[in-house]
Amino acid sequence: MELETQPRSLGTGGGRRSILWKRFKKQKVLHLFVGLGMIYLLIFAYTPMFGILMAFKDYSISSGIKGIFTSDWVGLRYFDEFVHDYQFGKLVRNTLVLSLLKVIFAFPAPILLAIMLNEVKHMAFKRFVQTISYLPHFISWVVVVGVSYAFLSADVGVVNKALMAMGFTDEPLAFLTSPNYFWGLAVGSAVWKEMGWWTIIFLAAISGISPSQYEAAEIDGAGRLARIRYITLPGMKGTIVVVLVLTIGSILGGGLVGSNFEQAYLLGNSINNPTSEIVQTYAFRVGLSDGRFSYAAAIDLIQSVISVALIFSSNYIAKRVSGSSLF
Amino acid sequence: MLKSQRQKDLVFDSVIYVVLFIIMLTMLYPFYYVLIASFNKGSDSLLGGVYLWPRNFTLENYRVFMDDPKWVKAFLISVLRTVSGTLLGLLLTSIVAYGLSHRDLLFSKVYFTVIVFAMYFSGGLIPYYVVLRSLGLLNSFAVYIIPSMLSTFFLLIAISFFREIPAELKESAHIDGAGELTIFFRIILPVSTPVLATMALFMGVGQWNSWLDSAYFVQSEELRTLAFRMMEVINKSNSPMDSLAVANSASAGVTSFSLQVTSMVVSIVPIICVYPFLQKYFVHGIMLGSVKG
Repeated sequence: MELETQPRSLGTGGGRRSILWKRFKKQKVLHLFVGLGMIYLLIFAYTPMFGILMAFKDYSISSGIKGIFTSDWVGLRYFDEFVHDYQFGKLVRNTLVLSLLKVIFAFPAPILLAIMLNEVKHMAFKRFVQTISYLPHFISWVVVVGVSYAFLSADVGVVNKALMAMGFTDEPLAFLTSPNYFWGLAVGSAVWKEMGWWTIIFLAAISGISPSQYEAAEIDGAGRLARIRYITLPGMKGTIVVVLVLTIGSILGGGLVGSNFEQAYLLGNSINNPTSEIVQTYAFRVGLSDGRFSYAAAIDLIQSVISVALIFSSNYIAKRVSGSSLF
Repeated sequence: MLKSQRQKDLVFDSVIYVVLFIIMLTMLYPFYYVLIASFNKGSDSLLGGVYLWPRNFTLENYRVFMDDPKWVKAFLISVLRTVSGTLLGLLLTSIVAYGLSHRDLLFSKVYFTVIVFAMYFSGGLIPYYVVLRSLGLLNSFAVYIIPSMLSTFFLLIAISFFREIPAELKESAHIDGAGELTIFFRIILPVSTPVLATMALFMGVGQWNSWLDSAYFVQSEELRTLAFRMMEVINKSNSPMDSLAVANSASAGVTSFSLQVTSMVVSIVPIICVYPFLQKYFVHGIMLGSVKG
C-alpha cells in the first residue's frame, strides 16, 4: 500500500481518480465476489437493524418491509407498556438471576477443569477426558432437553425411579415442572453442555506458560497447589479476563454457556413459568405467537441496549482492574 | 520431608483423578442411557430400573421409527438441509472471503466495517422474521438454507486463512492468463481443505441441530426437520396425559418415551460419526476465532 501511494500522488487529482478507476476495473471480479456478501448482509443483517424502528411505530405485519417506514410513529408507547406490564418484574428478575447464576457457576467450571486436566500426567487419560467433555457442545439443546427429561421427569425419569427405589422419596420430585428447580436445572445443563468446550481455550492459555517457571518453583519447594496458585492462575489471567468480558457482555443472552433463550424456551412450561419465563422468551411469544410485532421489537431492543452497555462497562472495568481487556 | 511431599502429591493426584473420572461419567452416561433405552421395550422402560443394559431387548422402537413416514420425511429433510446448506454456505462464504483476502482491494476498510458491525449488532428476531416474511421465504425449504449461508464469523476465519496462501501461487496463474474464478476454484480451494473442512463441519452441525426455524418459519408438515419432530415427541412424552400411553397400538410396547430416545440416538449418531474430524479441526478453529473475535 505504502509503495503504491507514491507514484499515485505524483499525478493530478483527475489522474489519481483515473488510476483508482483502473485499479478498480482490474479488481472488478473481486468486487463482484465481495459485493455478493455485501448484498447478503444488507438484506439479512442490515434490513432487520432498520426494522428496529418498528419498536417506535404502530407496525402491522401485513404492511411488509415498507410498513416499517410508512407506519405511524408512536414514540415510546411500547416501552412504557412493557415497563408497566404486570409480568415486567418477574421477567427482569428471571433474566438477571439466570444470567448471574451462570456467571457464578458456569464461568469458573471450565477454568477448574482446565487446571485439573493440566495436573494429569497420564496423557492418554487426559486426552480421553477432554475428548468426552466437549462432545455435548455439538449436541443440540433439543437433545439436551430430551436427556434432562429422560433423567428427571416424574414419570419416566431415571433419577426419580432410583430415588424412589432407594426410599429417599415417596413421591417423584417435579424437577421439570416446578418453579423451584428451574434455575438449578438450567445452570446444571448449561455447565454439562459447555464446560468442556470452554476448557479448550483455557488449556491453550496454560500451554503458553513456560515450563521453566514450574521447574524453578519446584526447586524453591513450592507444592502442587502453590504452583497452581502462583504460576498457572496468573498465567491464565489474560484469557480469563477476556472470556469474562465476553461473558458479561452476552450475559443477558446466556453468556458463554449456551443460550438462555433456548433453555428457557425448551425447558420452560406453564408450571415452571414463574421462574422460567425470561425477557427473550416473552418477546418471542408476544411477537411470533400473539403477532404484536412492535411491542416485541421494543422488548428486544431494551435487552440489546443493556447488553451493549454491559460489554462496554465490563471491558472498561477489566482494563482498569487488571490491565487486560477485549478492546 | 520429601516423603510427606510425595504423600501429599499422592492425595492431590487421587483427588484429581477421582473428580475427573466422575466428570467423565456424567458426560458419558446420559448418552449411554439414551442408547440402551432405545433398545429396551418402551413399556418396560417406564417401570424403571434400566441402568446398565437393555432389560427387555427389542428393535421395535427403530422399526416403528423407520416405518413412520413422518419420521422418515423429517430425517430426509434434515439430511437435505444439512448437505445443501453446508455446500451453499461454504461456496458463498469462501468466495466472499477470497475477494476480501486481497490486501490491495479498494474500499476494503468499508467492506470490513460493514462485516464487523454486522457481527456485533443485530436487529433481533422480530424484524428478522419480518424480512424473511417479506422475501417470501417463510414456509419454504429455502428458509433453512438462504438466511444462514453467510456467517461473519466464518468469513473472518476464511479471510485469515486465504491470506496465508503464498501470493506466488496466484501470480503465476495470473501470468498464465487465468481469471479470478478459475484461480479461486482451481488453486485457492484445493489448498484450503483445512479451513473448508472446519467451516463445513461447524455449518453442518449447526444445520443438523437447528430447530427454531422449523418450528416458527415453517407451517407445512412436509417440511418439519428431525430436530423439530424430536422436540415434539419430547414434549409429548413429558406431558402427564401421554407418557404412559402406548404410542402406536399396532406396535407392541412402543411409547412416546421410547420413540423420544430412539430419535435422539438417530440425531446424535451422525454427530458422533463426524466427531473425530470435528476434533481434528476445531481446536485450531476456536483459537483463530478467539484471536479474531
